[in-house]
Amino acid sequence: MAESNAVEIRDVVKVFGFGEFAFSAVDHASIAIRKNEFFTLLGPSGCGKTTLLRLIAGFEFPTSGEIILNGEDIGTMPPFKRPINTVFQSYALFPHMTVAENIGFGLTMLGRPKQEVRDRVAAMLKLVRMENLAGRRTSQISGGQQQRVALARALAPQPKVLLLDEPLSALDYKLRKDMQIELKRLQGETGITFIFVTHDQEEALTMSDRIAVMSAGKILQVDSPRAIYDAPADRFVADFIGETNFLSGRIGSVTDGIAHVDTAMAGRISATLPRDFVAEGDVTVVLRPEHAALCDADDPAACQTTGTLENIVYFGTDTHYHVRLGDGETQFMLREQNKPLQRQRFSVGDRVGILFEPNAARVLRN
Amino acid sequence: MARRFSVQRQTGFATIAIICFFALYLPIVVLVFYAFNSADSLSSFQGLSLRWFARAFENRQVIDASIRSLQIAGVAATAATIAATMAAIATTRTEPYRGLTLKYAFINQPLMVPEIVTAVALLIFFARIKIWTGYNGLGYLIAAHTAFCVPFAYLPIRARLENMDSTLEKAAADLYATPWNAFRYVTLPLLWPGILAGFMLAFVISLDDVVITEFVKSAGQDTLPTYMLGQIRRTITPEMNAISALFLLLSICVVIVFFVVNRKRV
Repeated sequence: MAESNAVEIRDVVKVFGFGEFAFSAVDHASIAIRKNEFFTLLGPSGCGKTTLLRLIAGFEFPTSGEIILNGEDIGTMPPFKRPINTVFQSYALFPHMTVAENIGFGLTMLGRPKQEVRDRVAAMLKLVRMENLAGRRTSQISGGQQQRVALARALAPQPKVLLLDEPLSALDYKLRKDMQIELKRLQGETGITFIFVTHDQEEALTMSDRIAVMSAGKILQVDSPRAIYDAPADRFVADFIGETNFLSGRIGSVTDGIAHVDTAMAGRISATLPRDFVAEGDVTVVLRPEHAALCDADDPAACQTTGTLENIVYFGTDTHYHVRLGDGETQFMLREQNKPLQRQRFSVGDRVGILFEPNAARVLRN
Repeated sequence: MARRFSVQRQTGFATIAIICFFALYLPIVVLVFYAFNSADSLSSFQGLSLRWFARAFENRQVIDASIRSLQIAGVAATAATIAATMAAIATTRTEPYRGLTLKYAFINQPLMVPEIVTAVALLIFFARIKIWTGYNGLGYLIAAHTAFCVPFAYLPIRARLENMDSTLEKAAADLYATPWNAFRYVTLPLLWPGILAGFMLAFVISLDDVVITEFVKSAGQDTLPTYMLGQIRRTITPEMNAISALFLLLSICVVIVFFVVNRKRV
């Protein structure tokens, strides 16, 4: 069991400050990160994801709890003794060294023979496709190239785990897309466990094997991108990842895992009840905009609810519809993919129906 | 069209600037000029000559005092720079804590305390030690100079450290550098211009000191400034101008070396 884990975070707490100013940046966090995994810590700024990364790197020490690497608690080990390397948000390349010297730094500090360092640096330069810039100063290369050098430098000593602290945030959109693919490729080629910190949910969804969503120091859900998107564990996760419609109400009845929820804004709607969910009291139904479709309001049998079409926004690949629901307050969003030579079926001001499968909507606790 | 305020465009700016520059540099220009005077006194200029430079170079006392000055400044500035570097790292590479400001004040204390107070205190203090130990060497002057040079070395080093990205040291630690190696291979090379600036400043301050040296020195331990002070009390000859001119040349050289060395670095 422990064999398959690269890093295990066990009930880690990190408190900053003293007395009345004390606050927990990381609050009883537990995660097992598997070997050879692209693992992402995702959350809004201030959620504790960077603190957790710094705890793993050794720049901070946990107030309590254990960080297990190779069956050993490394929680109090200084950073230079941990077989873990970091790609910093600001890259932190040494400005007084060349690209090659930067990449070789870790191995030199480990006391490896000169020839081995040279070979390894050459291999790393090739891996990040920067062979011709080995002799340059780090101030003489572009932001994207600095990013690659930072990656090569962190990968050169072949760490057990590579930590990446929002490394793409300083790059422009196009370069960021390229680097996302590059990072995936490097992770696959090196077989090193990557722990990636980001606040960008799209980045997390496209790159990760698994994601941990964090908020206020707590880990809310750890799962595959698809599971996080399709089956968010709570309202925060549903709201933070992607766009979501929230419909609050009370469970009326349950049949075969489908709850019939009475809502003020949309009447009675049917949604999937997650397993081990105690079906009582006030709940929220969450539904992704692309999982719903417009339908003919005069056909109540086919539609879950109805409303007034308020706005149509054309996005090229798809069209967004904003529907004002029955209570006159709640706005419901739908997204439909555009097909060639499609005719506009509805126009603004129309009464429309909203159609969705009960298994596309999920019931969450409030 | 409204123009942005610029102090350079205010009336009188140029005039004030010129007056300031004249007040600063005219006396120095005159001093250097009279160093080439062939006459026996400063009262009249009788033609160009290098005789006073030759005289200065032949004067055993001048040479001894110069060597002593350089020895004291060299040792004191080195010791002060090492102490200042350690103090600067200790006060910047830490989370702020209660008492840190007090430490700044303590390190910079020699800048605040009137020099004459320090001088008298050292005179009394060292007098006791001289009686106890019987030692009368240059050690007292070196110790005194080291003490008042520390803040001058400290300020540029601390400024450099504060501007340096501390993530670089974290990156070094992350890449298996022990604290000593991180200092040796990352902090020190990047700090070097600051250390050099601190050393130069300390060196020049030590070379220039009169008050403390005058109080602390034993018989026959004149430095160049105290020797010159002693000479001027008797007669003023262009020899003093010649020595001053050479002194000036030395400090210009120090500044040029500093700029050249600094420009080569990133």
